[in-house]
Amino acid sequence: MKHTLQQIFRSPKFVVGFSIFAAIVLIVIVYPIFITDSPLGIIGQGTFFPPGIYVSAYDSLGSPKYTLNLPDAAAKRVAAKLGDQERADIRDWLVADGIPESEIDINNTEKLLEQWAQNYDPNKKIQGMTFAKQRYYQRLDTSLKGILSTEGAIIAQKNAETGTLEESNAINQADYVNVSEVASVRFLPFGTDNFGRDVLTELVAATRTSLQIGLVAGLVATLIGLTLGLLAGYVGGMVDDIINFVTNLFIVIPSFVLLILISYSVGQEQRGPFLVATVIGLTAWPWTARAVRAQVISLRNRDHVNLSKLSGHSIVHIILTDILPYIASYVIMALILQISSGILAEASLSILGLGPKTTETPTLGLMMNWAMIYQAHIQGRWWAYFPVLMTIALITFSMNLMNTGLDQVFNPALRD
Amino acid sequence: MKRSSLVFSLLVVLSMLLAACQPAATPTQAPAEPAATEVQATEAPATEPAATEAPADANALPRNETLYFNGQQWGAVACWNPYSSSCNNALGIAQQDNARVTMFETPYLYNMLDGKVYPLLADGPYTWNDAQTELTFKIKAAAKWSDGTPVTAEDVAYTWASHVKYNTPTGSGNKDYIDTIEAVDPQTVVIKAKLDADGKAVNPLIVGAYVSTNYVIQKAWTETLEARAGGDAAKFLADTAEDVVYSGPYHKFFADETKVVFVRDDNYWGQDASMWGKLPAPKYLAHTIFKDNAAGFTALKAGEVDVSQQFNANIQDLWLKDNLPISTYLPDAPYGIGASLPTAFFNLKSNGLDNVNIRKAIAMAVDYDTIIANAMTNQSATFTQVPRSLMNPTAGEQAMYDHDTVKDLQWAGKDYEGAKALLDEAGAKDTDGDGWREYNGKKLSYVATCPNGWSDWQAAIEVVAAAGKEIGIEITTNYPEWSVYQTVVTKSDAPLPEGYDIFMMWSDGAGPTQPWSRIRKLMSSEFNGMASNWNGNWGQYANPAADEIIKAIPGETDPAKLKEMYTELVKIYLTDVPSFTLMYRPQSFHAVNESVWTNFPHDGDGTNPPVPPLDLTDGWSIAGLYNLTLVK
Amino acid sequence: MFRQSRDMAVHYLNVRCRVKGYWKYFLNKLGWFLITFVFAFLLNFILPRLMPGDPVAAIVSRLAQGMSNASGVQAIYQQYADLFGTNKPMLEQFFLYMRNVVHGDFGLSFSQYPRPVSEVLKASIGWTIALQFPAIIVGWLIGNTLGALAAYLKGSFDKILMPVSIFISNLPQFGMAVILLVVFAVNLKWFPTSGGYGFDLLPSFTWPFIWSVITHYQLPFWSIVLIAIGGQAIGMRSMAIYELNADYVKYSRFMGIKDRKIIGYVFRNAMLPQITGLALSIGTMVGGALVAEIIFSYPGLGTTLLNGVMGQDYPLISASTLIITVMVLTANFLLEILYGIIDPRIKAAQAD
Repeated sequence: MKHTLQQIFRSPKFVVGFSIFAAIVLIVIVYPIFITDSPLGIIGQGTFFPPGIYVSAYDSLGSPKYTLNLPDAAAKRVAAKLGDQERADIRDWLVADGIPESEIDINNTEKLLEQWAQNYDPNKKIQGMTFAKQRYYQRLDTSLKGILSTEGAIIAQKNAETGTLEESNAINQADYVNVSEVASVRFLPFGTDNFGRDVLTELVAATRTSLQIGLVAGLVATLIGLTLGLLAGYVGGMVDDIINFVTNLFIVIPSFVLLILISYSVGQEQRGPFLVATVIGLTAWPWTARAVRAQVISLRNRDHVNLSKLSGHSIVHIILTDILPYIASYVIMALILQISSGILAEASLSILGLGPKTTETPTLGLMMNWAMIYQAHIQGRWWAYFPVLMTIALITFSMNLMNTGLDQVFNPALRD
Repeated sequence: MKRSSLVFSLLVVLSMLLAACQPAATPTQAPAEPAATEVQATEAPATEPAATEAPADANALPRNETLYFNGQQWGAVACWNPYSSSCNNALGIAQQDNARVTMFETPYLYNMLDGKVYPLLADGPYTWNDAQTELTFKIKAAAKWSDGTPVTAEDVAYTWASHVKYNTPTGSGNKDYIDTIEAVDPQTVVIKAKLDADGKAVNPLIVGAYVSTNYVIQKAWTETLEARAGGDAAKFLADTAEDVVYSGPYHKFFADETKVVFVRDDNYWGQDASMWGKLPAPKYLAHTIFKDNAAGFTALKAGEVDVSQQFNANIQDLWLKDNLPISTYLPDAPYGIGASLPTAFFNLKSNGLDNVNIRKAIAMAVDYDTIIANAMTNQSATFTQVPRSLMNPTAGEQAMYDHDTVKDLQWAGKDYEGAKALLDEAGAKDTDGDGWREYNGKKLSYVATCPNGWSDWQAAIEVVAAAGKEIGIEITTNYPEWSVYQTVVTKSDAPLPEGYDIFMMWSDGAGPTQPWSRIRKLMSSEFNGMASNWNGNWGQYANPAADEIIKAIPGETDPAKLKEMYTELVKIYLTDVPSFTLMYRPQSFHAVNESVWTNFPHDGDGTNPPVPPLDLTDGWSIAGLYNLTLVK
Repeated sequence: MFRQSRDMAVHYLNVRCRVKGYWKYFLNKLGWFLITFVFAFLLNFILPRLMPGDPVAAIVSRLAQGMSNASGVQAIYQQYADLFGTNKPMLEQFFLYMRNVVHGDFGLSFSQYPRPVSEVLKASIGWTIALQFPAIIVGWLIGNTLGALAAYLKGSFDKILMPVSIFISNLPQFGMAVILLVVFAVNLKWFPTSGGYGFDLLPSFTWPFIWSVITHYQLPFWSIVLIAIGGQAIGMRSMAIYELNADYVKYSRFMGIKDRKIIGYVFRNAMLPQITGLALSIGTMVGGALVAEIIFSYPGLGTTLLNGVMGQDYPLISASTLIITVMVLTANFLLEILYGIIDPRIKAAQAD
């Protein structure tokens, strides 16, 4: 046993797969210890906040101020609102308004803004300009207001009694705060999702659930498939035909029809993750059963089996000692594949809206489903779906790598 | 014997399979270049001259003559029969408050922006007699069917008679209010209302709405259809009606599993000076059938859709981030005009929900701003902008009740302290220390629900459930499939089963009978006891005072009196909280891409009467089709 | 391909001497397949009808929107319940269904009423077969070749190619579809984003249309193939490794039989479970195309069936599942027969 383990851990493929898998499991276990927020807590009012460090704007007003005279600060401020595109757009509008192009210098910020302020009329209709463009110029005009100001901003508070505004604080353009000194800061490495939930926290919890779903589905499918496959393959004859018949029935009825039916028949109760996992397992076994059966059939007439038969061993004994060990590596491989395809199946079902109905724990499929419903993939909100996809791929990838590594150990001829 | 027949049917299925493969067999060969050349080779003899050049052959829709839609047609068109409402023919057939008038036409067009109706097939405004029992209107002399014959009053009368005879939704839905529709002369139609015991019209409001919500269908064609159906109502309604005669500007050009295309009828009567004076701008109206919103959104973004009528999350990114020529009716949130009130109903029989304070506490604790910002991505007015009532956010409806009278009854949402105080007052306290409150000795535990896959509603329900935790009421969520959900919710002759304590349903949008009809469906007890209740008040609320006002409103014409009555209803609604609005939703979502067409309706576009943002197909919004111009 | 069929021919010659046993085997299989078919036919009818909910209510909901009259809704409900026969006893419904099916009539679709089910299916099944069948075969061929190569060549081929293909195949299918869509359609704009053919075209036998069909086909096709490759490759590799270590290989080597010949046997034996996999994937064809259909808005049977299930469209569900049943059973039956030819051990076992 110890020797086998040693050998297993000498296989580079297994080690890589195992490391990835162990890292994922470790994160799933450790992360919730440090970040105790509810994975489904809605923290953002709004959808898909991009990844980054969120600093309380209100608290930063009260944080110690530092004056930094950075030479490019003003230029950056202007460039953020008035880039090359905006300058060209301003020129286009002014030209359309009748100002000769020779009089416009888009690199002279001050003059350009002056010309803009003098000539721009938000209500003026320019021939051939789409309505969307008109609104664009209106927005641009608003955003350019006060862009060259060198004054600071004044913070005022409402007097509770008189209702007038009273200056409480002032901010100069050269004022800075240190992020570590602001009272409230939140780091969102993967931003938020469509519900305004922290994607990373949710992802960790979802990974945990999905791993459990995969394990349950894989075990159920493999146990059923192995048992039926062994019986059908070894016993043969009528037993084989009947098992084949049942297997075929399961194959010919689409599993998502079965899934809906089974989950309905459980009643008004919630379609929880474990029910879905069991159902996935119950519909996934035919693949294993047929493959095992094929294996057993090609084994059952081998000499050592015949020898065992001649020695009068019982069927159970023959199956356990003369058949099972020979297909053990295959069964383990099938189990691993079933686990990973269980995770995939949950995800696919959820994409179709047939996944677990749960609001206590997220699953990878549900996260993906919601991201797609709110069109994250088309709107470039990669943080809402890409980490989910990668997590699914990494889990299944690591399992398959381990599986390949195991193969090398169980089949000594293949060892490098 | 039996076995051989099974084998036979197996063969039938197989042969059907094979037959089905043939038309679409070309894609099979797609993956590699050899396949392409092979296709070219086999096709060469037949179509060589046309195939080599001419991208603008008859098989392509010229982009600058076609207006593309999304969000209306899901799945293939089933039929073209204007009597049937199950044709799934979104571009062609929709008899509703803002009836779709691309192919079939109504006498009048309703405009949700000013609440008025404008004549289409009709000539001039309709008139009521003094007793409000008879409505009279004339048909335009210029109005013609697609076969060239004039539209007459007889067509209107026969349409109604057929609706009644074949028990269509229009017939059975209106026959309690409309007695007869008669043709006085070829141009004049009189609608006689059903009278109650006092000799007054049962409901003049619904009678008046008939002329803008129901199509006029040709008598001659109806008779052909009747002959074909042989008097069988089911056959009459199931007829695919490929030969239908229509009066509108567009008709069928092409339809399959992937798209529907309508083509303009260049002989359309509406180009007469008495109506539009010209033809609508696009020659083709086309609707690609997308499988979901994401695909429709991608197409809108790519400029393959001009008018989008679907929920596009974070629509503002299209112009703010992607700089695309896409815009909505309003420049900023809520981007469109809210018309309906998606509502959470309470099951008034559940433990605790029979107590108004507990109902109100839950409603007070809900974080509406998050629902609007997250579930609707800000495409709804907030309750600070439009305080809750029974009215939708349009100016017309908002003016129909007195805001100040009900001011004290309003709640802001996310008011946990206020909610807890109410719960304490109601005697719902946490007596066993488990963190959840009890009422009548039982833990307050509810299931909040809506149909599975209705994403913005599900997101809203999640927020409702989250509110429960804050005030010590356990609310879990559950999303049954729509097929199950609807059967449960619409069964109003029995108490709702477990799992439907707080549930979402819709309410009416904008229309000629609003806000009365919406209020009726939210509050009237007349639907309680119906085995199949598709109207409203699914929480089975009953309040005689409200019923009485709802009954009286249709016969009332004095605006001051009406305002008083509506204010009273709002007061009752906000006091009793039988249900509560979670957000406002537009009648139709409306986003336009100006890469090909421009001059779409938008707020302040100077049109008079204003063109509403309803896809340029519904009610008065079809006027927008005549304003469109090409970008270049 | 040629090699394989020649091998089969040789095998067939070899087994001809035992034709009698083979017929017994064949008839036995045929009998069981017929029984399976009968049960599946029954289940296809019963299962959808066991779902809770009322499909007629769903139709009425479509019809009754905007109706403000109580008895009117009831009347319509009654009318459609009669029309679809949902108020008749189940047994009567079944006999009616069976009689109609024998005549090739699957009835009217509930969810797309008044379209007949056969029309709904005819319009979508061609797309599914055209998309899935080549995709499954191509994926299977590429995958098995890669797997066999990896097992045989080992070394750097196995070390680099295998992990890469494992990683790709372990993306969920919708993930692959989404990535292909985002990268090649939305960002690079190399391929169209959705539909079976151009949004501005009408079906015709013209070059622009055919070209449009071809370009629209690519992303859905590869989203299925790429996923299939990895799974097949892994399976084939393991099978081949397993066979390479079998006693008969060692024995043959010991006997000095040529490597080439041994490998031929090895891979043919390793193919067996892989062929099972191929037969099974025919059964998942309809469900398997679903994700690609949804993400690329590609027409097909998958979404038709899904909508049928959601809308409790009994006739549509029964007819689609019947088609799937027939396809899977036929594929399996043919394979069983092939098995008998390819692997003499099976037949021998049957002859015991």
